[in-house]
Amino acid sequence: MDLAFTPEEQAFREEVRTWVHAHLPETISHKVHNALRLTREDMQSWAKTLGTKGWLGYGWPEEFGGPGWNAVQKHLFEEECALAGAPRIVPFGPVMVAPVIMAFGNPEQQQRFLPGIASGEVWWSQGYSEPGSGSDLASLKTRAERVGDKFIVNGQKTWTTLAQFGDWIFCLVRTSTEGKPQTGISFLLIDMKSKGVRVRPIKLLDGESEVNEVWFDNVEVPINNLIGEENKGWNYAKYLLAHERTNIADVNRAKRELERLKRIAIAEGVWDDLRFRDEIAKLEVDVIALEMMVLRVLSAEKSGKQSLDIAGLLKIRGSEIQQRYSELMMLAAGPFSVPFIEEAMAAGWQGDFVGAAHCAPLASTYFNMRKTTIYGGSNEVQRNIVAQTVLG
Amino acid sequence: MDFDFSDDQLQLREAVRKWVAKAYSFDERRRVVASGGFSAQAYQAMAELGLCGLYVQDGYGGMNMGPVEGMVVMEELGRGMVMEPLAHTWISTAVLQAFAPDDVKTEWLPRLAGGEALLVLAHHEQGARYNLEKCQATAKQVGSTWQLTGHKSLVPAGDQAHGFLVPAKVNGEQALFLVPRSAATDTRHVYQAQDGSRMSELHLKDATAQLISTDGLAALQLGVDVGATALCAEAVGLMAQTLAITADYMNTRKQFGLNIASFQALRHRVADMKMQLELGRSMSYFASLRLNAPSMERRLAVSRAKYQIGRSARHVGQEAVQLHGGIGVTDEYIISHCFKRLTQMELSFGDSLHHLGEVSANMQETAGVFA
Repeated sequence: MDLAFTPEEQAFREEVRTWVHAHLPETISHKVHNALRLTREDMQSWAKTLGTKGWLGYGWPEEFGGPGWNAVQKHLFEEECALAGAPRIVPFGPVMVAPVIMAFGNPEQQQRFLPGIASGEVWWSQGYSEPGSGSDLASLKTRAERVGDKFIVNGQKTWTTLAQFGDWIFCLVRTSTEGKPQTGISFLLIDMKSKGVRVRPIKLLDGESEVNEVWFDNVEVPINNLIGEENKGWNYAKYLLAHERTNIADVNRAKRELERLKRIAIAEGVWDDLRFRDEIAKLEVDVIALEMMVLRVLSAEKSGKQSLDIAGLLKIRGSEIQQRYSELMMLAAGPFSVPFIEEAMAAGWQGDFVGAAHCAPLASTYFNMRKTTIYGGSNEVQRNIVAQTVLG
Repeated sequence: MDFDFSDDQLQLREAVRKWVAKAYSFDERRRVVASGGFSAQAYQAMAELGLCGLYVQDGYGGMNMGPVEGMVVMEELGRGMVMEPLAHTWISTAVLQAFAPDDVKTEWLPRLAGGEALLVLAHHEQGARYNLEKCQATAKQVGSTWQLTGHKSLVPAGDQAHGFLVPAKVNGEQALFLVPRSAATDTRHVYQAQDGSRMSELHLKDATAQLISTDGLAALQLGVDVGATALCAEAVGLMAQTLAITADYMNTRKQFGLNIASFQALRHRVADMKMQLELGRSMSYFASLRLNAPSMERRLAVSRAKYQIGRSARHVGQEAVQLHGGIGVTDEYIISHCFKRLTQMELSFGDSLHHLGEVSANMQETAGVFA
């Protein structure tokens, strides 16, 4: 047992750090470090930059053109990107659909879809949730009917993150109503430029439109866009959920944001207020405990010696911590968190700030972060999963 | 970065687990509590397993093992709520090894490693709470010997120990001394602790003592950090056991015609217990893996860990009682004993508020395990 990274791991970290610092534009990292709004171009240009290095698909095995990194290397890469102020990789293509295509797609599908994901050219969205199917995802109703060599898709997806930018969307669709709800679901790739696809952004409580509704009205999808076997889509979706276990804790971002919280607390004069400072200290221990938990899972993955059934805990704790730091930042700014000036949340605004510039996005970020305990399997669903590991 | 246990560590865990299961059933523990809170036989068995000399170098007859082995052992002792204060043997051996002059080491370390002698830390004074710098006891040099005067409280197994590690002031500076039992003026005030072990008051009036170190605060701090780290691991073992007992109970107890394990309102509470256990375990690893670091780094790691462990132990203990219902507040059933032991753990070597204060006062602008 050893808490230190090996010299090889340290060297790897240095390599990533050097490269990221050389290639991440300061205009983008400034936005990330100050929670200013990112444009589509910010996100996609960074994705393409990573793509040129072969690092957008950083979790991919070598046989599919990835770097073939182990769990610890992937973590170090994520950490260096987060600490440098890189935008989060939009996960739907490289992190979510690509592993499913690799595991269950046929060679033709792999050749067709993976290069565009690896380069960052093609923006993918995830079509899972529906108006009537949130935590109970298996109840989804979007239908795909087989007609000749096509599926005809009808239905509605919702909470579709950044689908307004999407080129393609991977969907869970119902292809059978027989048996258990889980057994009639298929995994379908749909070109969002197809006739009958309509996207409507949903304005959220922070004023931004991060998610969308997506309607499918008699959308024709070729049968070669079906991944794996018909009615087996639920298995592929579960595989996908199992694939990225530690990333969801987002501990690297939490470390960066904790440092930002401290800077804001100092600037706002609450760093020396013991009542406030103790709250930061509590959060600091929470972040360290989360990081240790993540490292334990990574170590177990790397060695394969022991299995740890604590992935559900990572999601719960990681999301609670995200909410807490955004809450404390808002509280640090106090009354200066109240003004809602959208222009002040964009980089380079030349208008008159009310209070310090760093105050402008704090309340909006706090509001936005309420999503974290809801998405990706709500924390209550996660608690059901955790309880299962103890009680059966 | 590696959190796997070595084969040797796994074998050590297995050996201790077997001994605890055999020698420390709940009934046996009751007998120990009733007969003075200390079993000489059990302590001797631990010595034979090599546990007393875990930190002691080979030259003094020990196992020369490290904090990870210590953690493994303490988790297993925690499961069985073993009464004998092995952590204090680790404190005294670690402190003597790092700070004592050679003659003191030669005199005590082999006997401590062999389980023939027991030295415990006697540092508590009224009004000092967990502050290690507050010390009323004084020492003066008389010829080549030292004499201590003062009153120390809450000395674990004070009626069993062969000697005491005692902080005392010399011209305003804190030093650390070893007071043999024979030199203590009065140790007759013995009482029971919440967990069934015994403690005593230690009165010293010109008591003859051996000097361990004039750098007394550093030596005491090391001792407290060794003790707190051991206690973190012990609490992890007991929290795991408490959760397992609670899960078993919930899968057999029926209400409304169903096992109470089937009720979601209760299942979520169990999930939260597991969260506290695993956060605690993570921080116990953290403390153990930092125990050999330079003292400031070590102290901060211990404070971070003990803060988490204190919160976790309180949560798991309280919830275990609640989930058991009425049987949880009886003396007859084991879970109240787990609860009391966990509660006492929070109150030992600094409670959560104390350690939060330490973390808060020493907070840097960077963040994370490696910051």
